[in-house]
Amino acid sequence: MRLGIPHTGNLYIPFRAMFERLDIDYVIPPVNSQRALSLGVRHSPEGLCLPFKLILGNLIEATEAGADTLLMVGGNGICRLGYYARTQEQILRDMGYNIEMVTLGVSNHKLFGLLKLIKQLANNAPWLKIISAFRFGLAKMNALDRIERRVQKVRAVETSKGTANRILSKAVEAIDRTDDYRMLKKIEADYTDQLNRVSTDDEAHPLVVGIIGEFYVVLEPFSNFDIESELGKLGVEVRRTTFISEWTKFSLFLNPLGINEKDRLHKAALPYLKRDIGGEGWESVGEKVLHAGKYDGLIHLAPFTCLPEIVAQNIMPHTREKIPVLTILCDEQATKTGMMTRLEAFVDMLERKRRVKKISLQAVN
Amino acid sequence: MIRIGIPRALLYYQYYPMWQTFFEELGAKVVVSPKTTQAMLSAGSSRVVADTCLPVKVFLGHVLALVDKCDYVFIPAVRSLKNDIYNCSKFLGLPDMTRAVIPECPDILDVDIDVNQGMSKINRAIYRLGGKLTRNPFRVRRARIAAEEADKNYLSLMVSGGLTPPEAILNLTGLKNSPEVISPMPVQKPVTGAVSPMSVQKNGITIALIGHPYLVYDEYITHRLIHRLQQAGCRVLTPEMLTSQELETAVNKLAGRAYWTYEEEVVGAGGHYLNSDVDGIIGVMTFGCGPDSLMMDMVSRQATRLQAASFMSLTLEEHTAEAGLVTRLEAFTDMVYRRKRSRQAICV
Repeated sequence: MRLGIPHTGNLYIPFRAMFERLDIDYVIPPVNSQRALSLGVRHSPEGLCLPFKLILGNLIEATEAGADTLLMVGGNGICRLGYYARTQEQILRDMGYNIEMVTLGVSNHKLFGLLKLIKQLANNAPWLKIISAFRFGLAKMNALDRIERRVQKVRAVETSKGTANRILSKAVEAIDRTDDYRMLKKIEADYTDQLNRVSTDDEAHPLVVGIIGEFYVVLEPFSNFDIESELGKLGVEVRRTTFISEWTKFSLFLNPLGINEKDRLHKAALPYLKRDIGGEGWESVGEKVLHAGKYDGLIHLAPFTCLPEIVAQNIMPHTREKIPVLTILCDEQATKTGMMTRLEAFVDMLERKRRVKKISLQAVN
Repeated sequence: MIRIGIPRALLYYQYYPMWQTFFEELGAKVVVSPKTTQAMLSAGSSRVVADTCLPVKVFLGHVLALVDKCDYVFIPAVRSLKNDIYNCSKFLGLPDMTRAVIPECPDILDVDIDVNQGMSKINRAIYRLGGKLTRNPFRVRRARIAAEEADKNYLSLMVSGGLTPPEAILNLTGLKNSPEVISPMPVQKPVTGAVSPMSVQKNGITIALIGHPYLVYDEYITHRLIHRLQQAGCRVLTPEMLTSQELETAVNKLAGRAYWTYEEEVVGAGGHYLNSDVDGIIGVMTFGCGPDSLMMDMVSRQATRLQAASFMSLTLEEHTAEAGLVTRLEAFTDMVYRRKRSRQAICV
């Protein structure tokens, strides 16, 4: 059995760490590229969202590279995503590839389901080995996300644009290569230190913009034209609540104990949206309500035709809490230029708003 | 008398007799919006972002038509009717979205229907709903029983009687007080567009339509598709003419375990009709609907595998011009007719 997985941000790194430790034969498809997108688009039914098409592209490339078993997420009651695995399996089989699809359930029995699945794939290796491999993968994930959070702050104020990103790619590569806990800790400390020493403009007061919206397009830079880097170039500090390490921490560990981080968001959204509508719709409305007055603006990312986000997009303008929100739809037809034009106009507007507010406050005083 | 408005869109086609009976038994007057028109669709579209799906825009147009005509609008949020099988997001977000984009709307009665939360929660919700009209819980109970009875009659009219939902509703409500319609029914204009000469008489072709009832039976969205097919001499079958047992079996066979509440209307009906002796299947969906894309894809792949009935997927959206639709329909019925004729010739 040779296992192939699709891409979502840096998720391949913790998975690779687990597979290496458990001696699972695996293949990681090339990172998302125009080729993956074209393959996915060509073989997908038309009205589907970008995540489906990109993931299908990844799975096709993984199969071309020799995978015969493919890992995909699924579950009930989440958005249409739960239906993808069976459709992708049919598409691949009809293309002539004789593959097995293995589904990781993300709605029920999450932690246990995940561990059981890994055990199955690892040829029934002992539990201790599985848990140890899982913990190592998790450690890499947490390290990556911690570094990324630091990068988000540095990108906004660095004097030489692009420095933080260069450090980030080296850090990602180093973390991917290591197979030792102590080395991992050292690498994280090392690169965090490098980031702290990047020369920054001390006079800068960057705008703070939150990124909200659908899980996949928020996390996968190829699908959103690496919007966070672009915002960094424009001198904007990006804040995000969606991180895979956060999702893992809550979904797998704390939610079963009854602690739900999303309760805060849901409570904030209640006057406008009383129930869960699937995907991240409820959370998007809640984030707008919570961050109004704290951040300067929000960027709402959604794949084209993502219904929970469309419902959120329709409800958001009518909240009492006001904050500028720019919705960017991610789709195979979108161009980077189109996004940049909107982004630049949005940032200009936010800066102007801030200037006007400052002047009016000074006038009052 | 309290007036309860029910938009003639989305779940209307599945549950109207049940709802009408429930509310009338509790002494309310039920008011239904008129059939979809261009003006209603434009009004509904203007309130939401462009990529909202067409059925929702139509629904909002219907709500707008009810705005000054009733005291409450009934918009249930149906999340799940079977364990672990959920509904499309739009049904869940409908009451809140309507409230947000149509602020002038009268109070919305929204009930949460989710069997995964347990029947007691649903029961409480129904009693709370009835409580808006009467303080007597026994009366609510009676109304509920009558409503369930009406629903059973409705289903049997369609399954055994072979009636379409609008015909069945007319049949049922003809017996009681008919629902008040806001404006007179538009005069049935003759179907424009040339009809293929060879199919003016009954041509012995059976075409199955699969898709959600809020699309298939809305004459405006589909440009009177059923009527056109019947005029062309085809016998039209729809998912509502199948029993839930047949639909469920077909879904399990074709797609494995069902995922969506309304999967039966597409995958179930498609799977069933592909294995019966219909000559052609037309799948009706709207642009941008992800679930429908997935489901139609599944049915179309099966059709290719079985090589039995011809399959065509019709994607509708608000810009659909009649000519385009008529051309495709004619081409499809021609092809199906030719195929059948050549098969019969071979058999002879």
